[in-house]
Amino acid sequence: MLWVDKYRPKTLDKVIIHEDVAQNLKKLVTEQDCPHLLFYGPPGSGKKTLIMALLRQIFGASAEKVKVENKNWKVDAGSRTIDLELTTLSSTHHVELNPSDAGFQDRYIVQEIIKEMAKNRPIDTKGKKGFKVLVLNEVDKLSREAQHSLRRTMEKYSASCRLILCCDSSSKVTEAVRSRCLNIRINAPKEDEIVKVVEFIGKKEGLQLPPGFAARIAEKSGRSLRRAILSFETCRVQQYPFTNNQVIPPMDWEEYIFEIASDIMKEQSPKRLFQVRGKLYELLVNCIPPEIILKRLLYELLKKLDFELKHEVCHWAAYYEHRMRLGQKAIFHIEAFVAKFMSIYKGFLIATFG
Amino acid sequence: MEMESEDLGWLEADLDLHDDYIDEDFEPPLPEEEASIEQVYEHHQPEPITKPDLSIPDDHITDLETETLQPKKRLLNPSLLDSANVDDSVEDKRCRVDLGVNEADDEWMRYSPVREEAADVVEDVTERFISRFATDIDGDFMPVTAPDGDRVYAKLVKEEVEDKVKKLEVKGRFEGLMMEPISVLMQKVEQKELQKALEASVSTQIDTDLLETPVVTEQLWVDKYSPNSFVELLSDEHTNREVLMWLKQWDSSVFGTEVKSTTDDVLSALKRHSSVSQQKKVYNKSNFGRSKEFVPNSGTFGERNHFNKENYDSHAIHELHNKKIKDSGPPEQKILLLCGAPGLGKTTLAHVAARHCGYRVVEINASDDRSSSTIETKILDVVQMNSVMADSRPKCLVIDEIDGALGDGKGAVDVILKMVAADKKSDTGTENNIQSEQSGKTSSKKKRKDTPLLRPVICICNDLYAPALRPLRNVAKVHVFVQPTVNRIVNRLKYICNKEGMRTSSVALTALAEYTECDIRACLNTLQFLNKKKEMLNVLDISSQVIGRKDTSKSVFDIWKEVFQKRRLKGVRKSIDGCRSSFNEFTSLHSLISNCGNYDLILDGIHENILQLNYHDPVMKKTVKCLNNLEISDILHQYLMRTQKMSLLVYQPAIAIAIHGVVSQVEKPNIQWPKSFHRYRMSLIEKVEALHTWHNKISPCISRHISTKSFVADLVSPLLHILSPPTLRPVALHLLSEKEKNEMAQLVRTMVSYAITYRNKKVDPLPGKPRNQASTDIQILSFDPPIGDFVNFEGYICNYFMLASAVKQVLSHEVEKQRILQSSINKSKDENERTNLSGKEKSSKPEHAPENTKTSISNLKNSSAPNRVTSAPANTIVSATASGRSATLSSEISKPSETTKKRSSGSFNFFDRFRKTSANGSQMTETVKKVPATSERDSRPVLFKFNEGFTNAVKRPVRMRDLLM
Repeated sequence: MLWVDKYRPKTLDKVIIHEDVAQNLKKLVTEQDCPHLLFYGPPGSGKKTLIMALLRQIFGASAEKVKVENKNWKVDAGSRTIDLELTTLSSTHHVELNPSDAGFQDRYIVQEIIKEMAKNRPIDTKGKKGFKVLVLNEVDKLSREAQHSLRRTMEKYSASCRLILCCDSSSKVTEAVRSRCLNIRINAPKEDEIVKVVEFIGKKEGLQLPPGFAARIAEKSGRSLRRAILSFETCRVQQYPFTNNQVIPPMDWEEYIFEIASDIMKEQSPKRLFQVRGKLYELLVNCIPPEIILKRLLYELLKKLDFELKHEVCHWAAYYEHRMRLGQKAIFHIEAFVAKFMSIYKGFLIATFG
Repeated sequence: MEMESEDLGWLEADLDLHDDYIDEDFEPPLPEEEASIEQVYEHHQPEPITKPDLSIPDDHITDLETETLQPKKRLLNPSLLDSANVDDSVEDKRCRVDLGVNEADDEWMRYSPVREEAADVVEDVTERFISRFATDIDGDFMPVTAPDGDRVYAKLVKEEVEDKVKKLEVKGRFEGLMMEPISVLMQKVEQKELQKALEASVSTQIDTDLLETPVVTEQLWVDKYSPNSFVELLSDEHTNREVLMWLKQWDSSVFGTEVKSTTDDVLSALKRHSSVSQQKKVYNKSNFGRSKEFVPNSGTFGERNHFNKENYDSHAIHELHNKKIKDSGPPEQKILLLCGAPGLGKTTLAHVAARHCGYRVVEINASDDRSSSTIETKILDVVQMNSVMADSRPKCLVIDEIDGALGDGKGAVDVILKMVAADKKSDTGTENNIQSEQSGKTSSKKKRKDTPLLRPVICICNDLYAPALRPLRNVAKVHVFVQPTVNRIVNRLKYICNKEGMRTSSVALTALAEYTECDIRACLNTLQFLNKKKEMLNVLDISSQVIGRKDTSKSVFDIWKEVFQKRRLKGVRKSIDGCRSSFNEFTSLHSLISNCGNYDLILDGIHENILQLNYHDPVMKKTVKCLNNLEISDILHQYLMRTQKMSLLVYQPAIAIAIHGVVSQVEKPNIQWPKSFHRYRMSLIEKVEALHTWHNKISPCISRHISTKSFVADLVSPLLHILSPPTLRPVALHLLSEKEKNEMAQLVRTMVSYAITYRNKKVDPLPGKPRNQASTDIQILSFDPPIGDFVNFEGYICNYFMLASAVKQVLSHEVEKQRILQSSINKSKDENERTNLSGKEKSSKPEHAPENTKTSISNLKNSSAPNRVTSAPANTIVSATASGRSATLSSEISKPSETTKKRSSGSFNFFDRFRKTSANGSQMTETVKKVPATSERDSRPVLFKFNEGFTNAVKRPVRMRDLLM
């Protein structure tokens, strides 16, 4: 078991970062009831951890006994029946699912399956906790139609069910859905918070941390706690008695993007762009989200760029990222960004050096 | 009488001329005839007939004149017979006797110089009531063609003719008030009546032709002027010849050995052109090579067999030679596949060539039912049966538009392939074929399917590379049609226009031909349409005039080429026509792309190839522009997919055209099929699928925290580092220090919780199998969910520490054990144990259980065991695994090196103890074998990992309780 999982706080009390959020949540559910919740924040900030801890707070230890179910659903949509396959994690009290897995058919999941689940009020002998919790992951990837379907469900079955929505960015959740939830923003942990966690784990593991080592890990992690802990463990495995200048192994895909960036800086031509395309395909094939690629690429390029170009390049990166989200073939857009950058940079070089 | 006598004289002279000849050679007429034919060929060979359709050669006309003459002769003949001229009657009789000969010798007559005079005489006779229109003439008439090709209708005025006859006779040897007695005249009239009746009955077709002549303009020119003879074909000479040769190769098997190319159809075509008088003679056709039943339709033209042979150009001679050489069996490839763009004349060629070779064409086209069962019976019909009806020519199957509908076409293709395959099997000759046919008839349908092809089959398609045709391509003889030269088409069009009395210029016709891409059909339709409208073909504005513009859907490769390649403009006109040419370019590209319709593919192809182009682009402005355009197309596509506003699709071609405007070059682009995006999509799906499977295997309390996104972005690289710690020494487990053991345990737990193991990829996918192979082939041992692949970028070397294979093996065993342990712990509901192994146990999944039944986790039935077991540490495992490093793979018996390890907190090392016992020689196998036999799961936590078939070298009885101590 990795440290990430090993030292994951199980209850709201044990939470180290976002302590205030945890306390608020605790207060919220003391009455054994809560509104719909929407957790949002960047990856690696602890949304899921908080949700799990919250569930434990509401339902006790039994919420941790989950089983995986892979069910096939037949949804009757007017003239035809649609077969959907959906993986759910469920305990006696809650169901966790990822409706966006169904792709463009996510609407049916929301309209039929979630409704079906929400309708059935769990029978509880004590009369308390008369509701079920549905945890929906990656709500921001839901299509607009699905989100619209969701809001009615949220209102209609609020007596028997609570929805906990979880997403990276609330901007892609419709206004209507957002207003029906208590929005909880889980921001990325600050570096000193990460240092705190790393030191905590180091203490638990009985490790000697040289001064500044944790800070370096935190800095490298890009404010993602998960990555910080993982790289911490990696360091531990690589070389135990930590030295102060120990290399923190980088992510491979980041290294790869670094290579791409230096390729771009070396030569600006359609031929080079073609090579870059091949490399971009490589990254995309390996399930790395295009937005992250673009962002990282920009980051790497900015490092090498002259000051006066930075602003312009950032502008274009944003421009192309927007278009990428509108479109479908990410490669077109990333490539267009690279081409644009090449054009700008080459123009700049010619202007400066003649 | 003058004329008659002259005429007669001519006839006589002619006959006399040949009488000697005939007298000499009358006994064997056929060979001589052949010789004469040869002679004629000789005669005609030097004269190149390349454009027979454009100008009728002189001898045609003369022939036609003899044609016109012949009825005349017949008209006159009765009177001749009764003319009581004794001298002549002898000759006449002879003439009658030699009628066949006479007929055979027609061609001699044709070449006799006397004929010219005769023609003149005929002219004299008929000139009296001549009109261009048949309707103008009441009463009997006959069409006559003047030497200059004009066609007129001449009234037949009997009295006058007879008058003339009288006159002539007066001049001649007859005396008396009437030239002939009344009885003779009566007879003559009767004869005439009979003649008329005969004419009517014999050639109904010709009558209808006569009737139809005024309406003939209503007929489509395409049909009217469709080539009927081989030499008229406009398609590529070479292809034509090849097709004909192929068909000829069938002759020996179809017609038997005495094959002659009967080419009456060629004649018929010629006849249509020359528009000869429609009178005919009934000839005995037995003289001609292939015995044929006389059918009115074909018979009318039969007389001109020889004539046709004269017209035979070098092809025919080639054919003849070829035939002589090739006299053995059908051709190698039994199917001919013609392909090419529409309107190039594929179907016409197939029909003409088949008829030329004496086949009856049976066509199956897309309009027919083409399911495989129907088509099979149809083909069998064609191939095996001969019609008992009049037309007993063997059939030739033409399957048109075989690529048309994929599903249907496939049926046909399958049937044909089956037949070809059957042919290959029984390729021993006709006897065999007959046998198989017979057996086919008697036995089930299954056998019938093995009937070989006995008749030529010609398949016609537009797209050679249609998927349905793939198998056919391999077995068939493929001919790709190329566009005929513009010249040929223009000449032909000119000829037709002349015939139809339409005024055109060759410039306009050239433009038309170019515009329609040499589609003859389209050209003709357009011309006819314009003719109907009484319009001239306008050179400049041809696109507005051509209404029969077909939906040319070019292949995507052509479209990409069009997009990337700039059309060469003629230098001078460039400045003037710049605007219009760019407009034309736009429209043509637009229609091209919208006709294709597959915008997604087109734009993918542009994306794939655009960076390989050589356009001048110093600051990459053009590239940016193009890629922006591609982006727009992508966004547009996504938008209209989401909103289903398909009407917006019309803007897609414009994007491609914009790109064309930016990057098009004069030089030829090297275009590749857009594979990369497809490949990307496929492998992405594959990876995501792998990830999902793995995700599902991980226990839910861990996997719920990892999304696909965060997995690759955050987890994989550290995980790979963590899983291969460089500190782990590759030594036996018991040699590890306590700390190292802890690390090892930690590593194993990580691997278990993430459902990762090492696995020999090549051989055994099942866990728990002996790893002996792995020891010999160590390189293959790798992570089971291939997580390493996720960072395995092309051209990137990741610097992970590679564990020694020995360590990997140990690890995989440990992982296996750990899994078993966890699942067994899950099974046993002992609360104490659960608290002992808090976190781990929860993560263990119930799914492990079933796979572990294989590895026989079992407890003993030993009566003494239970007490001991309960007293023993709960989590003791006895595992006799076969991490055999021995290469002794002889049978199933190999030496297990017992890697037994005690798990959990206790320091009790079972392994050492066991070694001691085994050193004494234990009867390990027996004990172990007993275990699965008695395996019965109950709640005792004693575990055996059992590998059947393994034994110790030294055997010794050992009790279970010794093991359990």
